[in-house]
Amino acid sequence: MIFKVAWRNIWRSKVRSFIVIGSIAVGIWAGLLIIGFSFGMNNERTASAIGTTIGHAQIHSTAFDAEPLSGAVLGDDVAVTKLREEVERLPFVAGTAQRTVLQGMINSAKSARAVRIMGVWPKDERAQTTLPMTLVDGDFFESAGRNRLVIGEKLANRLGLKLRSKVVLTFQDAEGTLSRASFRVSGIYKTLNATWDEFHLYVHHKDLEQTLGAPLVHEVLVRFDETVDTDEKTVELASVLPNGMSLKSWKQVNPELGFADDMMAIMLVLVLGIIMMALLFGIINNMLMAILERRRELGMLMAVGMNKRKLFLMILLETLMLGCVGGPIGIVLGDLSTRIMMRIGIDLTSKKEGLAELGVQSIIYPEIVPEYYIIIAIMVVTTALIASILPAVRALKLNPVEAIRGQ
Amino acid sequence: MSKPVIQIKNLEKVYEGAVPVHAVNGINLTITEGEFTALKGPSGCGKTTLLNLLGGLDKPTSGSIEIGGVDITTLSENQLIDFRLRNIGFVFQAYNLIPVLSAQENVSFIMLLQDRPKEEREARAQQLLEAVGLKGKEGQRPGQLSGGQQQRVAVARALASKPQFVLADEPTANLDSTSTANLLDIMEKLNKEEGMTFVFATHDDRVIKKARRIISIEDGKVLSDE
Repeated sequence: MIFKVAWRNIWRSKVRSFIVIGSIAVGIWAGLLIIGFSFGMNNERTASAIGTTIGHAQIHSTAFDAEPLSGAVLGDDVAVTKLREEVERLPFVAGTAQRTVLQGMINSAKSARAVRIMGVWPKDERAQTTLPMTLVDGDFFESAGRNRLVIGEKLANRLGLKLRSKVVLTFQDAEGTLSRASFRVSGIYKTLNATWDEFHLYVHHKDLEQTLGAPLVHEVLVRFDETVDTDEKTVELASVLPNGMSLKSWKQVNPELGFADDMMAIMLVLVLGIIMMALLFGIINNMLMAILERRRELGMLMAVGMNKRKLFLMILLETLMLGCVGGPIGIVLGDLSTRIMMRIGIDLTSKKEGLAELGVQSIIYPEIVPEYYIIIAIMVVTTALIASILPAVRALKLNPVEAIRGQ
Repeated sequence: MSKPVIQIKNLEKVYEGAVPVHAVNGINLTITEGEFTALKGPSGCGKTTLLNLLGGLDKPTSGSIEIGGVDITTLSENQLIDFRLRNIGFVFQAYNLIPVLSAQENVSFIMLLQDRPKEEREARAQQLLEAVGLKGKEGQRPGQLSGGQQQRVAVARALASKPQFVLADEPTANLDSTSTANLLDIMEKLNKEEGMTFVFATHDDRVIKKARRIISIEDGKVLSDE
């Protein structure tokens, strides 16, 4: 019956209870939208980086990791082919692509810049990355010709380059000797990551080999079947690598992305914590008002023999019920809103440039994160429990005689 | 000879302040089983203070109050709460029913606090409401009942815990004459038929006329005991 009394008590002042329940619901709704938005933005950024450029993991020689010199290769053709076959046998590996990675300079008629030159096997690159789909002009080594270059739009603009513009690339060969070769821009790409675009350019591995004298493979990109449990998959993948090779997860290749991924979970719990703090004070205020209004009744209950434990339980239940009504309403509203936003997207075109720097599209599609529903439910219950303490202590401190007299 | 229910010895209650007030000043009393007693006196004479002390709602400055052989002045706060629940019934001036519960639930609630089984609670609540003339009103909430009816629910609630005695503080103060007469008839009937001990604090002549023992109090002392 204490449960029944507590339930009916919260409806004694309907307006007040509706305000508290409404604030809980709105707080949770906002929290879920923030979570959905943040996850949508971060996952899109991560997926974009993994899909277009870095893959889920990268294999290098340990020498390359120490210093990315031209001579720090993974091995000869046979060794690399064997390595790829070994890696592709793992059930969660969807595919691999090998690359030559050189630090170098690009010189145009207008300017020069330090760049990373990616010597790619176009067929592999097309199969394992979406970079060829980001081309805004030209093609990704489909047309005939030699010494073709695919360059990021941002770098092209800085160097004043257009399609068919001529540039000179300078890089070291395996012996450390500086080599130069002329290339023509055959494609211009634009990923969501402007920083990547400004620093990376792609050439056909065969064109590099002519200058280098032999194929140099510095990197094997590994793509997993899906972007879940990547830490565990990376550990398993590392176990099949021979000595002298190292594995970097996407989080290590792009620490900023990994940091954002790890930090986001903490930040979102903090945001939820702040929302709950605001709700906490609202609930405490509501319950203190309720205690004040019911002093006479609470005094009577203490006078006739309701012990402190039961009185505390009654107030705790009332507070908990407010949370248990507002919480699910907020979760349902948040879920519905997120689902609608998932379809139509949140248009931030006015912030397009800034978002591109972050590697994010201008339309954000939020995501549903079911784990957070459980976290929110736990936080609401905890908040309600904490909120009940002060009003309950106030009630327990009432003097029955004074309370009954209405003093 | 009836056995004593309440034995008060040298009871004093002093409210400290710039001028200490002796609300109860050396009272000695014995109330026996089945009494229908009125404590009368003008406002501020100390009768409500005495009632609160008898009910264990307030602590005396000195003296003892024995109820059923237990000196309640020695009990801790928690022990007192439990003692009140099992031994004392209360009827308040302002009824003090729980507004969100029906008449029957208000009566049952005390028994719930005593951890009595549901069947017993429901049966006794119905029996008591019938005894106070509220058969058919069991499902109504206090707001749907008149003042007199609410006070009758309060009487039923006071009896629900099967107390040793019932303390009623100005139970008729908010009632019209018809309701007062009804309520007094019911309490008198319960006193005679069930032997329930009633102690009233009142200055209502209608109550005093019904009482079989009248204790006059003035300045915290017993002036007369008839």
